[in-house]
Amino acid sequence: MSTLLEADTLLTIDVGSVNTRAGLFDVVDGRYRLVATGRAPSTAGAPLSDVSEGVRMALEQIQTVTGRRLIDEAESLIMPATATGAGVDVFVATTSAGPQARTLIVSLMPGVSGESARRLAASCYLDIAGELGLMDRRREDEKLDTIVQARPDLVLLVGGTDGGATHSVLRLVELVSAGLGLLSEESEPRVVYAGNQRLASAVTERLGERFPVTVVPNIRPTIEQEELAAARQQLAEVIHDVRSSRISGFDELRQWSGGFLMNSADAFGRIIRYLSQVYDPAKGVLGLDLGASHTTIAAGFGGDLRLFVRSDLGQGAALPGLLRHASLADVLRWVPIDVSETRLRDYIFNKALHPGVVPVAMEELHLEYALARQILRTALNLARADWPKGRDPVSSPLLPPMEPILASGGALARAPRPGYAALVLLDALQPTGIATLVLDPYNLAPGLGVSAGPVPMATVQGLDSGSFVSLGTVVSPVGRGRPGRPVLRLKLERERGEASEGEIRFGQLAVIPLRQGDNAKLTLRPERGFDVGFGAPGRAGTLRVTGGAVGLIIDARGRPLHSTKDPGRARDLNQKWLWDIGAIE
Amino acid sequence: MLPITHILPLTTVRRERSLPSPGTVTARVNEKVQAGDVLAQAEPPARHYLLDLARGLGLPEKEALRHVRRQPGERVDSGDVLAGPVGLARRTLRAPAAGQIINVHDGRILFQAHGEMVSLKAEYSGIVVATDGVQSITLEATAALVQAVWGNGRQDHGVLRVTGNGPSERLKTDDLDINLRGAILVAGVCVHTAPLHQATELSCRGLILGGLASDLIPVVRRLSYPVLVIEGFGDVPMNAAAYSLLTTNAGREASLDGRVGGLYSNQRPEVIIPLPATRQVALPDEIIPPNPGVRVRVVHPPYQGAVGVVREVLQRAVGYPSGILARSARVDLEGIGTINVPLANLEILQ
Repeated sequence: MSTLLEADTLLTIDVGSVNTRAGLFDVVDGRYRLVATGRAPSTAGAPLSDVSEGVRMALEQIQTVTGRRLIDEAESLIMPATATGAGVDVFVATTSAGPQARTLIVSLMPGVSGESARRLAASCYLDIAGELGLMDRRREDEKLDTIVQARPDLVLLVGGTDGGATHSVLRLVELVSAGLGLLSEESEPRVVYAGNQRLASAVTERLGERFPVTVVPNIRPTIEQEELAAARQQLAEVIHDVRSSRISGFDELRQWSGGFLMNSADAFGRIIRYLSQVYDPAKGVLGLDLGASHTTIAAGFGGDLRLFVRSDLGQGAALPGLLRHASLADVLRWVPIDVSETRLRDYIFNKALHPGVVPVAMEELHLEYALARQILRTALNLARADWPKGRDPVSSPLLPPMEPILASGGALARAPRPGYAALVLLDALQPTGIATLVLDPYNLAPGLGVSAGPVPMATVQGLDSGSFVSLGTVVSPVGRGRPGRPVLRLKLERERGEASEGEIRFGQLAVIPLRQGDNAKLTLRPERGFDVGFGAPGRAGTLRVTGGAVGLIIDARGRPLHSTKDPGRARDLNQKWLWDIGAIE
Repeated sequence: MLPITHILPLTTVRRERSLPSPGTVTARVNEKVQAGDVLAQAEPPARHYLLDLARGLGLPEKEALRHVRRQPGERVDSGDVLAGPVGLARRTLRAPAAGQIINVHDGRILFQAHGEMVSLKAEYSGIVVATDGVQSITLEATAALVQAVWGNGRQDHGVLRVTGNGPSERLKTDDLDINLRGAILVAGVCVHTAPLHQATELSCRGLILGGLASDLIPVVRRLSYPVLVIEGFGDVPMNAAAYSLLTTNAGREASLDGRVGGLYSNQRPEVIIPLPATRQVALPDEIIPPNPGVRVRVVHPPYQGAVGVVREVLQRAVGYPSGILARSARVDLEGIGTINVPLANLEILQ
């Protein structure tokens, strides 16, 4: 084992609802580097209902690629690494798979602690089966019926600032106790108390005899302050217990990881929070994970993480949920070929039946990416409502400057050309100013988020080890103009000596070659009325940029991006943009 | 590891049936039952009432408590006296519905009203092989089994009849005449609402389709009879194996279960056709590796619904017109030829 680094080898596993992915990091030249990845179908669902098989298949792929033995004869992970090079030193795991725990939220104030509880529940993949509040006007017996009908696996009891209300909270506890007592004997709901900490022992005393009670930090210690992170971490333990009672293999993962088993969204959020502390505090950091069953939007602003998870938005089983937020026409505006609404609707419902299928024909690929755009756009709009003032949609309908933008998810990772993923991100997020688009093709971000606990150096170096793909730097001038009107002049001086110069016109999507790892000096001179992020419209500036799989992208299509109402023209534009960004030849 | 769909001409079907809440199981282990037989019954709680004793009797709380006449757990009918009578007016507190007292606490009676009696039917003829005595029963039968991909959540049983001219034909109202009254219908695809309503008029007991237009999902969810979709949404014909199995069993009693369990459940929509058995038949396999010779079905275009046999699982990823690279199998598809199909787009068919 290295003396400077905590461990030589790190193995990460992410168990999703469709795929299980593994990543092996090793110390090469004194730094953690990704040496191999493995991917297998998840086996959390029927008929196996055991995540272990998917994990073993993913690990077998790593064994085959590296020749390093990870699993012993007893089918256990070899840990720590042996002198012969078998096994690993540290193992961490994340998961978003498994049935959602049916959750009853009980709060004092629906708009305060109740709102925080809903956010906490969403970021932990909980299914809110019912809500009760002291303030709601239902009769007490109706509230009891709500508890019975919710049949909760978990009761999330919140309310009362620290040192605040006591009597009201205890009245709620009495109600919960009476309601849970009416459930059938087989029901064993867990109670998680995240309210006024002064009442923790009283709550445990009143409920603890009949139901397991877990006390977690108050999610609303003061009216103004919301603290979800600490509660989320402890709540995850309870959720894993509930999940383990239905699906096998989680206990084994927890044992292998020595407790470093986290929700994927929570772990993903950790990475975004970390990056937001490292990058320009004037800008935010945006992370998005487009999964089959969930979509996660994580935004960090100088260490302030806003984590948003939607279980009704996703590219697999959750796909029909999109139609509650968007119309078929909203999706079709992103498709570069003629597809009927009937065909699209059938595609959506078939994809929900078979979430793991891959597109064979071009038409399906276009539908996949049109759906990806609309899901991300919808999720981002919903997520921004919880962003800090000045960055929320009320302050500005445009996305505030974010740097970098980290994207994860199966559909983006398997894009046949990086231009597809880049265009999906540009259309869906419509970044403003200057941003770097980074793709996490192996879904390593959650694993590295957990690693921050046992091996923080692996997180820092893993992010910078080439395991993430930079799609490129994107410049998106903000302003409106006639199509064809000059927007900016630019000069790109590569470190290797070559230089490019040119003018960008309104409506144009341009890519200037700049390979991944190449650095250059970029000078931007925007026209009056166009802001590229140098402090004011028309202000020029110079910055250092690095290349990416696509190159330097100038997106002068306008913000917000206006789509035409003419379907034929929209198709032509989509086709042109795919061409411009190098997604098709 | 690929998902499995069972399309079996003869197998042993073992299914657990459960009441929504504990009740009374009337069937006994080893008892032979018919599809319409009631195996168990329960009265799930309908709602709860908190009855204020002091207010009801017009007495102080402490005194009112002394006039409670029923014990917790005691069953009462609607209108039965729970407390009282007291005073000159002989005031009483009566049961708001049939049910039972759960407890008396803080001067209030917590009363649970019973809901309507729920009966658990066998839904297919077989033998009871296990029961927990209060809520669940396991039923076994020798039967043909056809699993579907989607159902509208309903269950029923009846006689199988085939309508239309083949698995790819669209269901029309003209196909549904009076001879099909009360039957379970096997048809091709459905893209209009009219035939669905016509089937309601004919008191049909179920409908099995290859494909269903997805815009009809809300309509189908409201139908009173079960609808099962074998392939998926759209103009997708039923696979030849399922269609042939269903048509050869026309005239037999079949059970349709349209409940969808979701990703993490073993529950799948299915057709069970009990058959006389002369020998013990094995249970279906739940795990089959996609080795050469294994029968598969394609679940995604361009060959959605096509059935074939795995010739070889390819070691290298294959590129497709979409530009996607995917681990694939070389499959001999019936009536199509030998083609490469992404493993992710295949299901094992047994």
